[in-house]
Amino acid sequence: MSMMELPSRQRPLTLLAIVIGLQVLLLAFQIKRDHDVRLVRVWAVDILTPLQRSGTWMISSVHAVWAHYIDLRRTGVENDRLHSELGRLQLRNRELESRAVEADRLALLLGFHTANPDVPMVAAQVIGANADASSRTIFINRGDTDRLRKNMAVITPDGIVGKVVEVYQDTSQVLLITDRESGVGALFSGSRTHGVIKGMSEPYLLMDYVINEEKVAPGQEILTSGEDQIFPKDLLIGTVVRSKNGNPFSVINVRPAARLDRLEEVLVLLTRRDTPNQKKAEPAVAPVPATGAATPSAATPVAPVTTTPPATKSISKPPATTPERP
Amino acid sequence: MSAYAHAEPNIEVHKFYGGTISVATFLSLVLQAFLNKYGAWVGFLELPLLITIYFGLSRRNPATGLLLGGTIGVLQDAVSHTPIGTYGIAKTVVGYMASSIGSRIDTEHPLARAALIFLFFHVHQAVLTVIERALLDRPVAFFSSKLLIAALINTAAGLLLFPLLDRLRKPS
Repeated sequence: MSMMELPSRQRPLTLLAIVIGLQVLLLAFQIKRDHDVRLVRVWAVDILTPLQRSGTWMISSVHAVWAHYIDLRRTGVENDRLHSELGRLQLRNRELESRAVEADRLALLLGFHTANPDVPMVAAQVIGANADASSRTIFINRGDTDRLRKNMAVITPDGIVGKVVEVYQDTSQVLLITDRESGVGALFSGSRTHGVIKGMSEPYLLMDYVINEEKVAPGQEILTSGEDQIFPKDLLIGTVVRSKNGNPFSVINVRPAARLDRLEEVLVLLTRRDTPNQKKAEPAVAPVPATGAATPSAATPVAPVTTTPPATKSISKPPATTPERP
Repeated sequence: MSAYAHAEPNIEVHKFYGGTISVATFLSLVLQAFLNKYGAWVGFLELPLLITIYFGLSRRNPATGLLLGGTIGVLQDAVSHTPIGTYGIAKTVVGYMASSIGSRIDTEHPLARAALIFLFFHVHQAVLTVIERALLDRPVAFFSSKLLIAALINTAAGLLLFPLLDRLRKPS
């Protein structure tokens, strides 16, 4: 009997709860709170929002634990992979940057070549330099097979570099204009006064045999005179840095136009034909081809080797204006 | 021993003539609406509540009592400006309590009836206050002098009304 009473005792309470619950729900549908929102909607949002927040928090916590602790082994592998890829990409980036700079340089060379289509020339890469501190020479990757000969002029679009002093099968040695053995016939671009550019195995050059009365100002350009029979006329040698009176001639220091400490590609003139008076060529789009594209003209000899004395020992004597170098 | 009226040999479950509860409910609502026009003191009277208490005590069945109270309260809300369910919840609670108590003790004595009416009136007003504060968001005070006066008025009215309603019982 007592067992039977329990369910019947709870029935009125259950019924009471149901009836009151229904009436509360009925009230909730009628009552409006702030912003004209029904109370039942407010309750529904208030009930569901904490559950949603809790669920989201739980899921994110589990995910965080998994991602930051349990799944670290994959993170380590991923880290290693990313490191190696980063290293590879950095190398590739440096390679591409180097190629881009090389392309710019070759474009300059091509521009010079394009501006002087009648002058046969060949591009060459600098592959080495002098092994001692006193001389200023470089080695280029062109030689006898590329029709190079001694005393051929070596230039860049910025200015002259030197001349070929030794020719081998596939390489050649070039004496830079800064070497103490070097001498180049020169003149001032404005006054056209002649002189001789001498190397001192130092970064700057010396313009010699210019009388003290000559008005020389810093910044004046020095061009080749062509009298040495090596460099064509009116190629840019450099600019005056300073000048002072000397005995018996002025002491004029000249900064080379070509960046002799950063040579990577050069042009070898296969002829002594004069180029147009052009100090710098405009850069072109495509780089200079690897093999020499310039061919010597039929009307002009490749190199004045047999007709002029080598300039390693002295500059060829011009008529009474350029004295022999001691 | 069972605590419920239908299994309790000492407590009588009163039966009424057909339609008594419906007519009494209807008349209480009509009179309540009629009397509310005449001012404060008459407005304190809660005839539907007295009907709920009486029939809850008489029927002595909690299920019947709460359903009766809920119905009377919803009908009262329907003819008032309050949201439906306000008086419905209050009278549901009172109907349930009246039936539960009525099934345990003898409620024929006038003093017992007076005490129960006084008690249930306070319960009714307490539930109303909770609903108005929690759901309707109205800052309503519970304890006030009007509450005591209204409780006394309804107790006196109940002591007059209940004997009249006793005449509508079927003879046992």
